[in-house]
Amino acid sequence: MMPQPSFLCDLVCRGLLRGASLLVPGRQRAEWWREWRAELWHVRQAYRAERSFSWMAEREVAAFCLGAFPDALCFRDQFKQRRIPLATTKGSATQCVQMLFSLITISYGVALLLPDVSAILHFSAYRDTRNLMLLRDAHFSGDSVPTISVEQYQVWKRRRQELFNGFAFYQVSEQSISWESNMPTKGAVASASSNLFDLLGLRVRYSREAPGSLPRLILSEQMWKSWFGSDPHIFGRMIQVGSESAMVSGMIDPGEWRLPGQTNAWLLQPQDLGFSEGLGFVVAHLQSSHAGWGEAWHMSAPTPTGTPDDFFCESLTERTRGPGDVFLFAILLACLALPATTSLPLGEYRASSRKLSWFTRVRRWSFLGCKLTLLLPIVYFVSLDLAHLRSGMDPITSEYLQLMSAFSICLFGLRWSLRDQRQRCPVCLGKLTNPARVGQPSRSFLAWNGTELICVSGHGLLHVPEMPTSWFSEQRWLYLDASWEVLFAEPGFGTPGYF
Amino acid sequence: MAVETKLSHTAAMILQAVNAGYVYGFSVMEMTGLPSGTVYPAMRRLERDELIRSSWEQQAIADAEQRPPRKYYKLTRMGKVTLEASRKRYPLLAKLIPSEQEEQV
Repeated sequence: MMPQPSFLCDLVCRGLLRGASLLVPGRQRAEWWREWRAELWHVRQAYRAERSFSWMAEREVAAFCLGAFPDALCFRDQFKQRRIPLATTKGSATQCVQMLFSLITISYGVALLLPDVSAILHFSAYRDTRNLMLLRDAHFSGDSVPTISVEQYQVWKRRRQELFNGFAFYQVSEQSISWESNMPTKGAVASASSNLFDLLGLRVRYSREAPGSLPRLILSEQMWKSWFGSDPHIFGRMIQVGSESAMVSGMIDPGEWRLPGQTNAWLLQPQDLGFSEGLGFVVAHLQSSHAGWGEAWHMSAPTPTGTPDDFFCESLTERTRGPGDVFLFAILLACLALPATTSLPLGEYRASSRKLSWFTRVRRWSFLGCKLTLLLPIVYFVSLDLAHLRSGMDPITSEYLQLMSAFSICLFGLRWSLRDQRQRCPVCLGKLTNPARVGQPSRSFLAWNGTELICVSGHGLLHVPEMPTSWFSEQRWLYLDASWEVLFAEPGFGTPGYF
Repeated sequence: MAVETKLSHTAAMILQAVNAGYVYGFSVMEMTGLPSGTVYPAMRRLERDELIRSSWEQQAIADAEQRPPRKYYKLTRMGKVTLEASRKRYPLLAKLIPSEQEEQV
């Protein structure tokens, strides 16, 4: 059965009014809707006086309903005008946020100036670090000394593997480097298998392919700057490393190399030729089917003589870990320590006879959230700056310094955020001023004594008890009503009629 | 609101209509010939400026007549002063919308 056209028109008109009502602020919506619904009823009665359906009449009614939109927008504008502007006095919320942003900018700027911090910030983790394992002889305790022979590496590489699907080898030695007419210079060079950087997933800048079986030399940024004067034309040129010629084929950013052995350059040997008799390091990529084995474990593997030996495999996760974990741990510690240093409640803000608008309440909590959010990057950058203020510091010491500084700054910052929030007007977020001592300390238990602060815009008074008692344990906010307006009639100040 | 407030012709016409006894939105629309999108927002502003004030009709009256209660508007003292000033500014206003007393005369 088809609905009557008049019913459909009525539905459309109600839909239009409902749509327009969404533009009206929530608190005024019910009354607005009531008025327009009543008016619509009377308009219908007027246009349908003859009790017959007419498209002309329905058009007039629809035109009437369309007028609800400008009216709703008018309501909306009036509501907007009643929003309380933020205080513009000294120590306003805007100034506070600007100060926090300035601190972030300064600490980040310092971080970029410090080479170690800059390297940390620009570090891009190796590919699949969880499955990249550093292999060493289990008879050695540390991983900073080379323990694997070239023969051992060749054995692993030749054998059919079930555990690993890729091996790379490198050994670090002092070698003389000379180019063109320059005097030969000694430097730490890692002779490595050609797949080392591919296996690690390290990004090589200014990458060049070497023709045929020519070794490729990858420079560290520090070597490129100090030895070659940041010459971009050095890439692709031939250079003498020890007894062999190599083509300079790229550079890696500082801080990217996280494996054992301090090196100035990496000589990538094609077809694994050119290694010395000495020991080196082996990196292997674990097959994904064994990914659940954990970060460190022992394995038994055959040696070149055919006898099995014990080897220790450790993933590169720990080595490539950024400072984020230390930072998060420090934040957690600071959050746990915070209740011991200051009270967490922000005070009692009782609902007044005229309730605060939703916008004003959300703005107050957003301000607190904003301060806490902006605090995090400040803590991160400043702690990194302090931990790496001196270049070449021991990583353990740096980590310890970062933890301590991040914890201290975060704790101080959280305390400050809460205390600052407590000293602000909940309406205009201005800093409360004009503290006045009220009452006598000797009458603490008989009468109230403490400090009173006032919002310069006249929004309220804050009572802070000198001594918390069972009946007045926290600071209390008292909203001032319109009768106080006469005291705050200075131009530019919002009057108490702010709700 | 200052006494010497100058109203637009439309606002003055609506104020004159309310004063003339057209005390709800649709009747002002019918009297002035202005669309709803003009009349209602103008009445909001007049109310905001305290030239008119609104009140809801008693539910019992509306129930007796089997219709929804309507919102009635009435001029305030300030509204009457402003209307007097507007009549001097727009001399044809009173002729366009004569008030009840004027009609009786």
